[in-house]
Amino acid sequence: MDVDRRAQWLRGVLDLCVLGLLARGDSYGYELAQSLQATGLGAIQGGTLYPVLLRLQRSGLVTVYWREGGGGPARKYYRISPAGVGVLREASGQWAAFAGGVGAILSERTAR
Amino acid sequence: MRHEIWLAALTDELRRHGVGPDLAGHVVAEAAGHLRDSGEAPLRAFGPPDTYAAAVADSVGGPALARSVPAGPVRLRAVDITKRYGRRTVLSGVSLTVHAGQVAAVVGANGSGKSTFLGICAGLVGADAGRVELHGTVGYCPQAGGTADFLQAGEHFALIGAGRGVPREAAVRDGARRAAALDWAPGDAQARHLSGGTRQKLNLVLAGLGDPDVLLLDEPYQGFDRGTYLDFWHEVWRWRDAGRAVVVVTHLLNQLDRVDVVLDLSAGSSGVAA
Repeated sequence: MDVDRRAQWLRGVLDLCVLGLLARGDSYGYELAQSLQATGLGAIQGGTLYPVLLRLQRSGLVTVYWREGGGGPARKYYRISPAGVGVLREASGQWAAFAGGVGAILSERTAR
Repeated sequence: MRHEIWLAALTDELRRHGVGPDLAGHVVAEAAGHLRDSGEAPLRAFGPPDTYAAAVADSVGGPALARSVPAGPVRLRAVDITKRYGRRTVLSGVSLTVHAGQVAAVVGANGSGKSTFLGICAGLVGADAGRVELHGTVGYCPQAGGTADFLQAGEHFALIGAGRGVPREAAVRDGARRAAALDWAPGDAQARHLSGGTRQKLNLVLAGLGDPDVLLLDEPYQGFDRGTYLDFWHEVWRWRDAGRAVVVVTHLLNQLDRVDVVLDLSAGSSGVAA
């Protein structure tokens, strides 16, 4: 896939994807990056991911805590807040409508 | 770049971008953890330290954007200042009021009278009409000059400190501390051997010695690199938060959203601070 286009798409939804992953359970930055990649969204660089996490934290959609890692230094864990759950619920409905609209147009073009 | 070097550079850049020490510590620890887990090279995972620090600062809203304290008493009031050089009128009915805890920016094209106006506020240039009230002590940083060629930095600190009633030892200590905030460790070189940018750091340190109530700064960052330029604005925010009144002449407009008062001396503007 066109890397630039994929990056552009991701910019618009990365915060929601992160919220969605955190709705499954608390996690830390690197694990989130791996989960995103495993979902097929491609490699997310730390320089892109952590500023998004900071914005989510600042806007109160996630809370954070530090937990000792297995033998290593403490890791910063993120947990979705009730406000985050609300935003996620609302946005998933909007996204479904939006993606459905895009999909309808694109499939119509290719079907011809 | 090795991890430790990149992380140390990130620590510095976060400070420069106004990220507080607690948050900066967390950001660095988190980045270190990510690099350890992923085994990636820092530049690949996060990019250059200054770019990543800027992204972090952006995400947390940057420094001192919110007004924490209401403006205090009036420290500087310039009313209807008019100045002519020969037949040319440089300033015509210019007014500016700055309270304690405020930063005012004086902007305008070259030749619009910015430095003249600041000189009048400092009492160094006479006005043809109007009046200036200053309440409190004043520190002034000129665009150039202002240092003595054959004196070392420490001797400047002692000399200017003496003028403001600061004992020699305290003045030298205070000067070194302020210099460190601008990423400069003064040695025993005479001022004439310092680079232009370092002489401006010296000027800026001298302006702040003894914590004057009013700081008048005339484009004090000439010759500063990008990092020192950011350090300079952090000094300005610290002064503001400490209740000083700060007036900065500048032709750089990207800091204007963070100042309290803007006086635009460009032709066609009223010359009255908004």
